[in-house]
Amino acid sequence: MTETILSLSDAELTLDGNAGRVEILKGITLDIARGETVGLIGPSGSGKSSLLMLLGGLERATAGKVEVLGHDLTALDEDALARVRRHHMGVVFQSFHLIPTMTALENVATPLELAGAADAFERAEAELQAVGLGDRVHHYPAQLSGGEQQRVALARAAAPRPELLLADEPTGNLDGSTGAQIMDLLFDLNARHGATLVLVTHAPELADRCDRVIRLADGRIGEDARREAAE
Amino acid sequence: MSLAVATKIARRELRGGLRGFRIFLACLILGVAAIAAVGSVREAISTGLEREGATILGGDAEIELTYRFAAPEERAWMDANATAVTEIVDFRSMAVFGTGDAPERALTQVKAIDDLYPLYGTVELDPALPLAEALAGDGGRPGAVMDPILVDRLGMAVGDLFKLGATEFVLTARILNEPDAGAGGFALGPRTMVQTAALEGSGLIQPGTLFETEYKMRLPDTADLDALSAEAEGDFNGARWRDRRNGAPGVQEFVDRLSSFLVLVGLAGLAVGGVGISAAVRSYLERKTAVIATLKTLGAETRTIFQTYFIQIGVLTVVGLGIGLALGAALPIALAPVLEDRLPVPATFTLHLRPLAEAALYGTLAALIFTLWPLAKVEDVRAATLFRDGAVAGGSRPRWLWFAVTALLFIALVGTAATLSGLWQLTFGAAVGLLGAFALLVLAARGVRSLAKYLAARRALRGRSALRLAFGAVGGPGGEALSVILSLGLGLTVLAAVGQIDSNLRGAIARDLPEVAPAFFMVDIQPDQIEPLTAGLTANPAVSNVESAPMLRGIITEINGQPAREVAGDHWVLQGDRGVTYSDRPVEGTNITHGAWWPEGYDGPAQISFATEEALEMGLKLGDALTVNILGRDITAEITSFREVDFSTAGIGFILSINPGALRGAPHSFISTVYAAPEAEAAILRDTSNAYPNITSIRVKDAIDRVTDVLAGIAAAITYGALATLITGGIVLIGAAAAGVYARTYEAAVLKTVGASRGTILRSFAARSALLGAAAGAVAIFAGALAGWGVMTFVMDLEYTFEPVSALLIVTGGVLATLVTGLLFAWGPLAARPARVLRARE
Repeated sequence: MTETILSLSDAELTLDGNAGRVEILKGITLDIARGETVGLIGPSGSGKSSLLMLLGGLERATAGKVEVLGHDLTALDEDALARVRRHHMGVVFQSFHLIPTMTALENVATPLELAGAADAFERAEAELQAVGLGDRVHHYPAQLSGGEQQRVALARAAAPRPELLLADEPTGNLDGSTGAQIMDLLFDLNARHGATLVLVTHAPELADRCDRVIRLADGRIGEDARREAAE
Repeated sequence: MSLAVATKIARRELRGGLRGFRIFLACLILGVAAIAAVGSVREAISTGLEREGATILGGDAEIELTYRFAAPEERAWMDANATAVTEIVDFRSMAVFGTGDAPERALTQVKAIDDLYPLYGTVELDPALPLAEALAGDGGRPGAVMDPILVDRLGMAVGDLFKLGATEFVLTARILNEPDAGAGGFALGPRTMVQTAALEGSGLIQPGTLFETEYKMRLPDTADLDALSAEAEGDFNGARWRDRRNGAPGVQEFVDRLSSFLVLVGLAGLAVGGVGISAAVRSYLERKTAVIATLKTLGAETRTIFQTYFIQIGVLTVVGLGIGLALGAALPIALAPVLEDRLPVPATFTLHLRPLAEAALYGTLAALIFTLWPLAKVEDVRAATLFRDGAVAGGSRPRWLWFAVTALLFIALVGTAATLSGLWQLTFGAAVGLLGAFALLVLAARGVRSLAKYLAARRALRGRSALRLAFGAVGGPGGEALSVILSLGLGLTVLAAVGQIDSNLRGAIARDLPEVAPAFFMVDIQPDQIEPLTAGLTANPAVSNVESAPMLRGIITEINGQPAREVAGDHWVLQGDRGVTYSDRPVEGTNITHGAWWPEGYDGPAQISFATEEALEMGLKLGDALTVNILGRDITAEITSFREVDFSTAGIGFILSINPGALRGAPHSFISTVYAAPEAEAAILRDTSNAYPNITSIRVKDAIDRVTDVLAGIAAAITYGALATLITGGIVLIGAAAAGVYARTYEAAVLKTVGASRGTILRSFAARSALLGAAAGAVAIFAGALAGWGVMTFVMDLEYTFEPVSALLIVTGGVLATLVTGLLFAWGPLAARPARVLRARE
């Protein structure tokens, strides 16, 4: 039997905005198995990124339950959530979010250092070589192209060997061919390390590469399709 | 572990450079440098006084006697204990130059010396003569040397003849340096130095004349100063002992007090800078929100992130402190030649560590107080910020823990300042005042925001787009009202307070002067001279009144058999000798508040009538026995009445009045106050000194000028001290204006896009600057006046009057400064092309 590492039951997210309360996610129930690759698709404002945030413990559900690798994320404080991410998760953003004052190597080494790894820099360098940036390790983000920056971000997310990889439109800020290279890398890393991947995307062709595609509409799961099952 | 990682991340983050920290550094550097510089000058003077103690005092130790020379047995004691003793007679007199109808006259402080003077140091003269040669005289007349100020005042030249009392002297040189000049206190007249032997026959040293003798001693190195001091003060009647350990206690105390006050002004400057420091840290951390959120996403705990930024701010603080301390230490050394010329006492300008440590402590505490609060806000930054703008968790206030830590640090700062300055009342007053001003300014900012929001929505403003935009910007979300009003307001409050203190100090004498002040005080009037003098003066139609009283000098030594200082502390009445009078009846108009005056002709045990206010301050009550040493004789008398003595009328006022029987036979002189028309003053002075050469006439106007000069000097020092605060305020203001540039550029771009002209936008920017400046200024006038009142009333013990001109000038200056900086920083936003700005924002 496949192990469930991610489980949401009746999860809701309501935010207070300037225009009043907005219901972002409504009664989401979802299980994701270890090793699965899941694509989250849907129109803008449908709640894709918010769902990803709930899974990463970056946002706290206002109702329901979010369980990741046996941790009830709704019951943990900010620091405990940070520790869960440090040991179990990697996150890739559309805008890369590299730390501008750190070199590529230092950016990748930071999560390893936070986790107390003695060989943080050696592992970071190996990771950068794996994404094809072996000759760019001492460059600062401003000295790298968008595609290179996203590769650094991928290396940073993958370096601690997380069990769960979360990616929020990782190709959204890149041109088509660079985006394709990044996606190849992402799936390749995932395949090599056997992590569970949850990917938010607008691109159907990317979603098609996932084992399972979940379509969100108006904060609810509209369609949850397993590719293998469909085939 | 967390600290090690935080240190590494902090080191990498610091590569981003000091961008955004220029204001932070400038504020810290200025505040610390000002405090370090003031402290270094104070320390330089203290060290100089200590090093040159014997020279300043003119001996290793000094015994001062009032009204008398040392008795033979006292002199024998000195000769037995000292290797050399020099005797100095110090008194006031009139120097008269010229003859005929209009001789020049001036008050002088005469120092009559013997052959051994000076024991330490040298008297430098112009022309460069040895002192003994200069005083030996010329052509059978004794010689004298004079302070150049007095020489010029009398219009004399070296070689001229002048008179002191009945004796004629020849001026042989000007005094360039008198080594022990700093040991004397406040003197009304410049110095004349003569040989004591030359005064014989001058009529100046007579029984009852006001003079002091100073016996300066050179002691063997093995001398036990404490033991000698105890012996001398115990055995010699009414003697005052001083030794080289504190050669000029008056100067030392004055320097200590003034510099402590200036350190407080510096601390106020640091508080103003603190607003800038806090704003810089806040804006830096706002720019770092994405990095903080990223670190959280990567698994960094709040503690690690807090440590990361704490270390960064810490490093910057150390840099700021280092530069500030270096400046504060170097400045006095660089300015040493100028400062040495202006100081009346020696100073050792070198690296003094104590004031630097003090300034570093203040700087560190201030930096912690103003940075912890914004730093604590990193706790609120959530990783979700990376996905959604404004996803910063709600609470705008840090946890109570940070509030408590900041409060504790504030208490530590105030406690340190109070302990180190010794000015507890003033320090606590200043701290409460600053907190009050802070609270008032926050309230004012909220008020202005609400008002602006209300006005922006009024129909009346429709069509007046510049004004409506200004009100909208001030009242809208994310406005700059709070930061500008707070930074400008605090700076202006400190300046307004200093302005109020300055004008009140400068105006104090003129304002507090009685409407009818006497023209002269005449002292050293011999008993046989008082009647003819009074008769002559009252016959003069220009003289409206003459008041006279017998006068002796006495030191209160004991209260009810206990040493007076042990009973009543360090009250000014007990510091040195006081005038004592006697009278059979109370002076007309005297208000006896407690007890009763002795009967006329009373000849029983001695009785004293004491000034009410001073008696209350000293804790005296009717029936207490006071021992007063008069001319070396102890007189113990019972206090039988208290009476009001009003010193503010500048008339004759004695703290102590004794029944005549108790002082019978005591040699004494008289003092008179003469009320006369100003135009007749010169003639009265001339006639009196011609007829009675021994009488010293002190022109009240001259005395007032002298005191006014001293007060103006203090006021100037305070104003210079506030200069650092003014510059800090300016920097904070520039920082606040610069911080708003990004928002204003975007706003201007949007406004241009919707059709606003540059003129409209500029007027809108100007209107909001003026509005915020005026609000800050209004609070500053109120808070500054309150602070000025507090300092004048409780610290200076002077009357306070609100000085509108100074207040208005400061506030107008503040509004103009905001306007000018606001407009200077508007130039960039106005010039930017909207398309580029808007595209960059996407």
